[in-house]
Amino acid sequence: MKRQVLFVVAVLVVAGVFLGALARIHPFGDTTRAPMDDYYLENAQRERSVNNVVTSIVFDYRGFDTLGEAAVLFTAVCSVLALFREGSEKR
Amino acid sequence: MNGYAHMAVLAIIVIAAFYAVWFRDLLSSVISLAVFSLLLALEYFMLQAPDVAIAEAAIGAGLSTAIYIIALRACKALKSPRGGEGR
Amino acid sequence: MNPLSVVVRTICDIFAWFLGIFGAYVIIHGHISPGGGFQGGAVVATMAALLLVAYGGKKVLSFVRPGIYTGMEATGLLVFITAGFLGIGTTFFYNFLAGQGGLFGSVVPLGPNSGILNSAGTISLMNMAVGLEVVSGLSLILIYMFKGIRLFEGREGRSERGHDR
Repeated sequence: MKRQVLFVVAVLVVAGVFLGALARIHPFGDTTRAPMDDYYLENAQRERSVNNVVTSIVFDYRGFDTLGEAAVLFTAVCSVLALFREGSEKR
Repeated sequence: MNGYAHMAVLAIIVIAAFYAVWFRDLLSSVISLAVFSLLLALEYFMLQAPDVAIAEAAIGAGLSTAIYIIALRACKALKSPRGGEGR
Repeated sequence: MNPLSVVVRTICDIFAWFLGIFGAYVIIHGHISPGGGFQGGAVVATMAALLLVAYGGKKVLSFVRPGIYTGMEATGLLVFITAGFLGIGTTFFYNFLAGQGGLFGSVVPLGPNSGILNSAGTISLMNMAVGLEVVSGLSLILIYMFKGIRLFEGREGRSERGHDR
């Protein structure tokens, strides 16, 4: 009984916080215009000679993020190889 | 018209997510999760984000389903072969 | 994992080619059309998953060497980091090849156009490097998980059996 009351109280608290956050969310489809976005859209094709502006941001302007992503994938592959390596059933 | 298409896809996404939790049989749950990922990729494409749509369709619907099925086979080989039955 | 039936294997024989070619297209045209190294690499790795599921681990793992994939992954990551470091005269990850002429340096006309394939400088090079790394990395995860299953199934003394033999 006590656990059920605790469960209902927890659900109400979490739902209240979630709905309160949802009421103040930014309107969908109404993006704020940052000056950096306009800079990318105007100058990416002239500076980097690329048509896909998304790729120019991912691999050039913000290339350090992509380096981190590649390092994360490399770490994941290394951990899987260490988990399933040959001869791990003998010990 | 466009709003109705969004609502239909999002409703089926919610139904697929519910069935991914509801099924007792883990293989059915994994297939339901693949349907969820595929419809999420369709929703990304309708919101004009084809980059994310390609990544979601390949990773979510293809690779993670394969990895889950491989993990299920490994667990089935470890434990006693008592298959799950639907609720 | 047992190989699936002959219907599944025939369909897989046809569609694996389309998956590989589509993935290579997404990687190479990453600076023109939507997509890029990560997305195209994931599509090509899905081809590896399709072959492994349809044909079973025993037949595919008999002619696939994981050492080649390990070398491909290290090559991709090293090319990516090297192309980042070569532009360090200006900044890290500076696009030093764009608009310089040569293999990667064609200049695209401004405004809406259909794009030129050998443009975009190091962006195109990094797309190919990241694509190589993602293909080999995700394929290595699948291959080693299959080897792990065979490890567990071999303990019980069971061997692979197809549906139709």
